[in-house]
Amino acid sequence: MAEKANILVVDDERGIREGCRRILASEGFTVDVAENGAEGFNLVGSKPYDLILVDLMMPVMGGLDMMDKVREYDPEIIIIVITGFATIETAVDAMKHGAYDYLPKPFTPDQVLAVVNRGLEKRLLSLKARKLMEERDQHLLEVAREESKSHTIVNSMADGILVMNKVHQLVLWNPAAVKMLNLNGKLEAGKDIGEIIHEKSLVALIDRALLPDSSQYTAISEEIEIKEPEPKTLMINVSVIRDKHGLELGVVSTLRDITSMKELDQVKSQFISMVTHELRAPLSAVESYLSAYLSGAAGTDPRTNRQMLERAKARTHSLLDLVNDLLQFSRMENKRVERKKELLDVTGILTGSVELLKNRGEANEISFETNLPEKLPLVEADRVELEVLFTDLISNAINYNVKNGKVTISADSADHSLNIRIADTGIGIAQEHLSRIFDEFYRVNSPETRYVTGTGLGLSIVKRIVESHYGRIDVASEVGKGTTFTIKLPVKKEQQRASE
Amino acid sequence: MKRQGEETMSKKAKILLVDNDIDFIDLNKAVLENNGFEVVAAYSGAEGIDRIRSEQPDLIVLDLMMEKHDSGFTVAKTIKADPANKNIPILMLTAVGSETGTEFSQQLDGYWMKTDDYASKPLAPEDLIKKVNELLARKAQE
Repeated sequence: MAEKANILVVDDERGIREGCRRILASEGFTVDVAENGAEGFNLVGSKPYDLILVDLMMPVMGGLDMMDKVREYDPEIIIIVITGFATIETAVDAMKHGAYDYLPKPFTPDQVLAVVNRGLEKRLLSLKARKLMEERDQHLLEVAREESKSHTIVNSMADGILVMNKVHQLVLWNPAAVKMLNLNGKLEAGKDIGEIIHEKSLVALIDRALLPDSSQYTAISEEIEIKEPEPKTLMINVSVIRDKHGLELGVVSTLRDITSMKELDQVKSQFISMVTHELRAPLSAVESYLSAYLSGAAGTDPRTNRQMLERAKARTHSLLDLVNDLLQFSRMENKRVERKKELLDVTGILTGSVELLKNRGEANEISFETNLPEKLPLVEADRVELEVLFTDLISNAINYNVKNGKVTISADSADHSLNIRIADTGIGIAQEHLSRIFDEFYRVNSPETRYVTGTGLGLSIVKRIVESHYGRIDVASEVGKGTTFTIKLPVKKEQQRASE
Repeated sequence: MKRQGEETMSKKAKILLVDNDIDFIDLNKAVLENNGFEVVAAYSGAEGIDRIRSEQPDLIVLDLMMEKHDSGFTVAKTIKADPANKNIPILMLTAVGSETGTEFSQQLDGYWMKTDDYASKPLAPEDLIKKVNELLARKAQE
């Protein structure tokens, strides 16, 4: 830098100006000259000068005035004063105005160079210092940014986070933790966690992690039930933070709300326990019939024995139905995301279902009546599920019918919906059972239904299918008269118009 | 189900079956009748309680899991709470095995009699006859 430094010489004496220029230019510096302060200051604005040599006594603008302006413009420019009155007073005055050094007239070229080089060295040092300072500022900014980044991440996490030091004081927490643990009190770093956390089990868990005999890599996971303000289950992971010597620094606890998972889990276990019972009952019945038959415990009357085997067969069949229904159930669960819907003609599917079941109905001396218009709007639906839906309902209409009964299947469209009715003239359903017939494994127990084998899943499957197609199902029934199921399925608007 | 006259004519022990599974009723009825017992059936807990009053059976074979998973307990407690009926032996049948066995004594604490017993379902025909005879013999000794 010293070689290429830009130097400005400001003096009203031409001899001094040109003399300085010659001396400095010969040393490789770039030199500009000005006759007075005003001219000199104009040049300062046009070029980055490293050093200015300025005479104190000049017309138009004196050295001191110019120095003030230059310092205002850029305090880092080195200013050296040239003065004819080399007194202490003028020097001090000049220094007060920001001069770095002074050069008394007359001077030799060596003196000029010595003063200029010293000034430039100082300039170099201050530039270096500025650069370092800028770097430090930048670094501090980055640290601050990093801190706010972690802060943002911790605060926006769905999992709760609590950090405490080894003497049980709160260090860090996030809003999720506050919400999960209902920490209403004033949270402050340094407060004892026993004061803040009402959940004694959580405090105990943290204490356990801090026990001296806990291993070096302790991480404890536990479920904690919270009662207030509403019951929920939290999965807590507690791990100890240690320094490089293995000494405990504190504990980090992460909290996850697993309430909905637990509820789902419970529903599933309840379902499994119901299914187990439902599977066990027919199997036990079949086993008992067979062992009674084999041992002759129920006597040797061939008619009784044949009846027993027939019942065993019927129960085996119902067991198969149950397994099929369970498969249908799990298929529907999986389909929640990937149900494939196409535009379907319901008339065709209804007719197909009736054909499939006609023989069974006629064996029970039941007649069928179908009342389907020629042209019904198409519905967007899953074909297999619609088949299951209609087959289940028509089967019920046959199974819970009376001798010489009738099953009527009709459909029409109105108000952007397709209405399908499946009516029987059967035994009917008493009012107290109506609200529960769609529940899993709910079956009406009456003398008339006792010999009808069913899985108890049919209607709950029916309801799920209807609802997964955004439809609804209603039931109307009168004991001794019969039951009518009405299904409403939505019709797409353009379909509605096309059919009109 | 009940033929008139038989009741007074013979000394057949009368057994009340309470179960909501038609097949167990039919089968156990056939087995018990084949072994010389008179059998009446009830298809629900409520019907069972009614039948005890009207039939005064010598022994009750009671299914635990009917409308609810512990319907049998409700029926048993009702029976034991009535001084006129509390000496009728109960054979409780349960399809849940040993687990319910524990729950059993807890639930019926104070009600459980020497003349009562339980067995897991399904019960082999010969075991049913054996248990029924045992309980009737115990009752006769009381």
